[in-house]
Amino acid sequence: MKPAEQNKACAEIAALLVFYVCDEVNEEERALIERHLGNCAACRTQLTEEREFQRAIGSLPQAGDQLDAAGMLLSQCRSELAETLDDLERPTKRDKGLRFGWLRGWMTLHPAWSAATLVLLGLVAGTEYSQWSSGRNDEGAQDQVVNVRPSSRLTDDQLSKMAVAGINFSPSPYSGSKNVRVRLSAEQPIELNGNLDDSNVRSVLAFVVKSGERFDSGMRLDCVDALKARAEDSEVRSALLAAARKDQNPAVRLKALEALHDAGIDSTVRQALLESLQHDSNPGVRVEAVNLLIRSLEQTPSDTVVSAAPVGELPSGSMVQTSARPAAGDGSIDTVIRALDNLQHNDPSRYVRLRSAAALREINARNDQ
Amino acid sequence: MSLPRWALAFADESGQTSNSDSALASVTSLASLEERALVEQAQGGSRAAFEELVRRYDRDVLRLALNLMKRTEDARDVYQEAFLKVYRNLHRFRFECSFYTWLYRIVTNVCLDQLRRRQARPEDQAPESHSTQFEDAGTDFFERQREHRATLDPERHLLGQEIKTRLAAAMQTLSPRERVVFEMKHYQGLKLRAIGDALGTSEETVKNSLFRATRKLRSELGVLR
Repeated sequence: MKPAEQNKACAEIAALLVFYVCDEVNEEERALIERHLGNCAACRTQLTEEREFQRAIGSLPQAGDQLDAAGMLLSQCRSELAETLDDLERPTKRDKGLRFGWLRGWMTLHPAWSAATLVLLGLVAGTEYSQWSSGRNDEGAQDQVVNVRPSSRLTDDQLSKMAVAGINFSPSPYSGSKNVRVRLSAEQPIELNGNLDDSNVRSVLAFVVKSGERFDSGMRLDCVDALKARAEDSEVRSALLAAARKDQNPAVRLKALEALHDAGIDSTVRQALLESLQHDSNPGVRVEAVNLLIRSLEQTPSDTVVSAAPVGELPSGSMVQTSARPAAGDGSIDTVIRALDNLQHNDPSRYVRLRSAAALREINARNDQ
Repeated sequence: MSLPRWALAFADESGQTSNSDSALASVTSLASLEERALVEQAQGGSRAAFEELVRRYDRDVLRLALNLMKRTEDARDVYQEAFLKVYRNLHRFRFECSFYTWLYRIVTNVCLDQLRRRQARPEDQAPESHSTQFEDAGTDFFERQREHRATLDPERHLLGQEIKTRLAAAMQTLSPRERVVFEMKHYQGLKLRAIGDALGTSEETVKNSLFRATRKLRSELGVLR
């Protein structure tokens, strides 16, 4: 056989040896290989090496034999599975008599999607209702409103005695336009036309935002969205903080957090984020609070990093190194780490636990750099 | 190497019984009758029957997950996700294969998904560093092998450690599919056809994955003599 032909044959056989040693060749291939091996010392050497490799691989101990030799992990897995099945099967008292057990089951299995869907529904419902509501108000009130521009600034006290009959964002709060038309019902109906530079317009919107359930959630959402551009204003900031902490609607809380974050992080905002991730009842809001906190830490200069809490003070199981930076009050990274650590172990939502664990790893990785 | 029950189930169904003996096969077929009754009860809503099915196979499931994922937390996630999938989809199981085979397919695909997700998240590449109630459970499996099994033959021990260290590094270079195929072939003892069946792909694709995996590992490990 010519050298070129010999090389070609060796290359063909070499490609088959992997399967030959683990008995995955057909009869034809087996005959071809064995015939070639009889005449080729180089390929016989390669076969020996291939067998050595297989033997070495096969002699390695397996993770499955080593990592749970005592069966503790298996017990824990069984227990967790049983709990999840209990949750899936056991209807709560409130659920009894309702016909949406399947929905509850789905939501239990998909907490993140459920939260996202609820937030989306809140947004859509709020927006649609607001448009419908303002359109309806337009029909009935157009002829009755007297356009009066108050000369002095409206106070919360004055506003609390009036009803906000309608707020129109023209053309839309989402288009970037800042034109707002507000109609207030009082002894003398008031209509404000202006943009967010107008302190009275800002006051009315801020009043709506912090008044919670007094106004429908769609209106509150629109106001939060419009005020986002003026979140550095102290009155607006205070209203957004109140909404982030107390608003009944998770979509409003979420949007208020985002607005505060976009305006810049200080210790008050970080504290609000911390409160949300620790206490908010909605897993979607908690996850967003984690995301915003992490983003806020990315914006914090790294030269402020100093050592903080000793290891022993962190809950057991914490995987975070305690190199951290202090900030004002409870908004320090130390507190953030503790809160995230607590969340990754104790949050009822698995998705929040996973996101918190990932966030801790991000902080840890950044501290390592 | 003792083969897991998966291998026997797959060998039975693929008609390739090179690794099983007839006695075991008859035990398997007797067990499968009982298994069918259990599955039917579980499909009818019996929680007890479902839990019995779980207890029968979950040790193998966890072991496979640990072998593939090498980290206890990931294996725990695989365990939960796989059995919840089984629970939710049990009504779709039509006895076209054994329950064991069906479960195995689910587990391997959940592992494959997890490995892909892990690969897509750089922060998840590093071994876990926090300790859990399981001692040593947080450290990477291959790292632990450095201290494991001190042998009476120092030279052999050193060679073994060297191989393990290099193998650990080489394993990181495998794609998720290559890793799963390699594990199923060499540690689960499955035939290529059965692996393709479990992963929902062709035998040819599996063959290519095994070839690439072996080449990568061989080039990393060099000559083992």
